[in-house]
Order: sequence, then C-alpha cells, then structure tokens
Amino acid sequence: MKVSAFSKTYGKRTVLSLPELELSEGMITAVIGPNGSGKSTFARILAGIEYADDRKPVIADINVGYLPQKSFPFRMSTEKNILQNGNDPARAKELMKALGIDDLAKQSAKKLSGGETARMALCRILMRRYDLLILDEPTTAMDMESTLAAEKLIRETCGGQGCAVLLITHSISQARRISDRVLVMNRGELAEQGDSGTVLNDPKQEQTRRFLDFYGL
Amino acid sequence: MGSSVRKAIELILSADPELLNILSTTARVCLTSSILALIIGVPVGILFGAERFPGRKILLVLNRTLIGMPPVVCGLLFYMLFSGVGPFRHLKLLFTVKLMIIAQVVLITPIIIGVMETFVADTAPALRETARGLGFGRIKEYRLLVNECLYSIFSAYLLSFARAIAEVGAVAMVGGAIAWKTNVMTTAIMMYTNRGSFTLGIALGLILLTLSLIVNIVLSLMQGRLSR
Repeated sequence: MKVSAFSKTYGKRTVLSLPELELSEGMITAVIGPNGSGKSTFARILAGIEYADDRKPVIADINVGYLPQKSFPFRMSTEKNILQNGNDPARAKELMKALGIDDLAKQSAKKLSGGETARMALCRILMRRYDLLILDEPTTAMDMESTLAAEKLIRETCGGQGCAVLLITHSISQARRISDRVLVMNRGELAEQGDSGTVLNDPKQEQTRRFLDFYGL
Repeated sequence: MGSSVRKAIELILSADPELLNILSTTARVCLTSSILALIIGVPVGILFGAERFPGRKILLVLNRTLIGMPPVVCGLLFYMLFSGVGPFRHLKLLFTVKLMIIAQVVLITPIIIGVMETFVADTAPALRETARGLGFGRIKEYRLLVNECLYSIFSAYLLSFARAIAEVGAVAMVGGAIAWKTNVMTTAIMMYTNRGSFTLGIALGLILLTLSLIVNIVLSLMQGRLSR
C-alpha cells in the first residue's frame, strides 16, 4: 500500500515533509528517530486523526487501526473495554492471557496501572483485523517480560492476519527484534529506509549512524 | 431559640398543612426546573466541550456570565417581561409556579452547561483519538463520551438542584410568595421571619439544611461508584 508524499506545517514551521512511501502487507515497519523527529505526527496523519497540509488522505481508502501513545481506558471493566472492538469473548480471553492481564478482566480499566493499561489497549486494538495497524510506542510503559509478549503477539497478528504494521518506537533493540523494515526519521524528514538488518547494522546516512551510536548500537 | 427549634420540630412531625403545601410547591418548582435544565444543559455542555465551531468561545464567555448572574436580576428581567406592561403580559404567567420554573431554568441551565463543558473539554480529545483509532463511528464515540460523563451529569444535576432549592431572589420576584400558591421554602422563611413568626421559618430552615446534607451524602456515595 502506498502512502502519498505529504507535508505538515504548524504556523510557519514545517514539522514533517515526507516522500512517497510503501508499506507491505504481512510486514512490520518500524519508525525510529529522536524526540521531535515527527514520528507521532506521521502516525496521526496516516491514521486520519490529523490532516496533512493539503487536507487530502495520504493513504487509499483502507481499514486503518491506530493505537495512540496514551490510549484511553473507557469507564468500564478491562474485558468490556476489549470487547468494545469486537464481540468475541474467546479472542478477548486469549489476548488477555497472552499479555498476562486475564486476572484483571473484571477490574475497572480506570484502576489499571500504566503498564496494565498499555496491555489492555494492545489487546483492544488486536481484537479486529485492520489492513494497516499503526502502533505508537505500544510497549513504552511495559516491563521487559510484557514487552516481549506484546512483540510476539504483534508479530503473530501481523503474520496471521496479513496486515501491514507500522510500529513507532524509541527502542532500537525492539526495531531489531521484530521489524522487517525500518524508516529512520530526523527533524521531520525521512533520513533513511530499508531492510531492518541493513539499516540498523550498516546505515548509509551519517545522521542515522549518529542516532544509532547515540543509542548504543 | 431552644423553644423555637423544639416547636419547629413538632411542626414538622405534626405534618402541618401549610408546611406540607410549601414543601410540595418547592418540590414541584425545583424538581421540574432542575430536570428541564438537565435536559437542555447536558447536550449543550457536551457539544461545547467536544466540538470546535465558530463563536464557541463567545458562547462560553456568555455562559460563564450567566452562571454569575444574580437571581434578583433574573427575577427583575422576567418581572418586566411578564408584568402588566411587559411584552408577554397576555400569557398571564406572573405570580405563577410556571414562571418560577422558567426563571429557575434560566438560572441553573448555565451551571449544568459549565460543569459539562469543563469535564468534556478535558476528556474528549483523548477519548476521541482512541475511539477514532479503533475505527469507531461518531455515534459510538458519543455513547462512550456520555458514559465517561455519568458522574459529571449526576454532580451537575445535584449542584443545579441545590442552587434551585436555595434560590430566593428570582422566585420571590416572579412568584410573589403567595401563601398556598407560590410560596416556596426560601420565600416562606423570609416572609415568616419578617412577621416575627420564627417557628415555621426555623422548621423550613432545618428541612433545607437536611436536604443539603442528603444531597452531599448522595454525591459522596455516588462519586466512588460512578467514577469507576
């Protein structure tokens, strides 16, 4: 699926200017880059939450799912939150078990901790099949064990449902673990893109190398 | 003082007909006006909080001004509109319970709008981003938003009911505090105190305080349950 070239300007400041991109079904594309590089704005525009400057959709009319950085827990139980996105209690149970929150099913989602809310939100978005699934730092609030379980679940969903996944992440090691392709962003522009192995092990651009060095790789 | 309080309690326990009439008129005016204000104020407040449209900020400033409007000014306005020289004199509503209800609706609806707008403006952006990200439609998005607002709706209602039941200026002006017709608790307290008849005034004061206490207890109990 093609993402058209677009730009995003706030006032007189252009915060994002990207060329045409391609996302593939059944593949996980990680978007990495320093703070303020425009990763989340990119995700929000792709999801249709924000408009690009020309106010046109940047992607063809497909079914897009988007998990924001801080997903909102609705005022109901954890299980009911998850069932809001598809009335399949067996699937909900399976997802909750995979992420270790099955014992919190009946608890109010408002009383979950940050990590538990992140796991609930991931379960909720994975209830339905999307052509493109955009996940904005889904594991930031999780501990390592939950992060690995979440990555496994994302990988299985992507492979099993054949959807394209766009994963916004700060973690280079996470990008290395689960992504097939990597987009490196810097100051609102695409610095580099390619297979994750190539980009993360042998970056072509100096700014990518500096970014990866800074993160200890 | 002590004997007046004792007599007031005896009056309440003896179900004095005049006291019962005042209580039923008060209940009619306050319940009707607060429910009407709720029906108008909740959707408008949610709309003001959740949507951005031209003129919204002006409307919010106007609403905040109305929240602070002195009840006597509201009463004066309605008195002028419905009195013998006013444009609506043919409706013959002055000194009726109906006009007391209308005046109170005008007084308390801005409170409900204000409470709802403040809560929704804070909650809606995050909820909306999540709901749209999941691919929910507008109806489901609003249904979830209303579900988030239950406690605010409840507290806005109790706040408006408390204002309605404690209000004296507007209802005195448009109702005229006519015994057995438009006399409510607050106007009756004023009337009987002016006459030097403290017993009924104290009895009504005790009932008002008890109602205020009940409202606060209910609010505290519901707070935990509805915010879950």
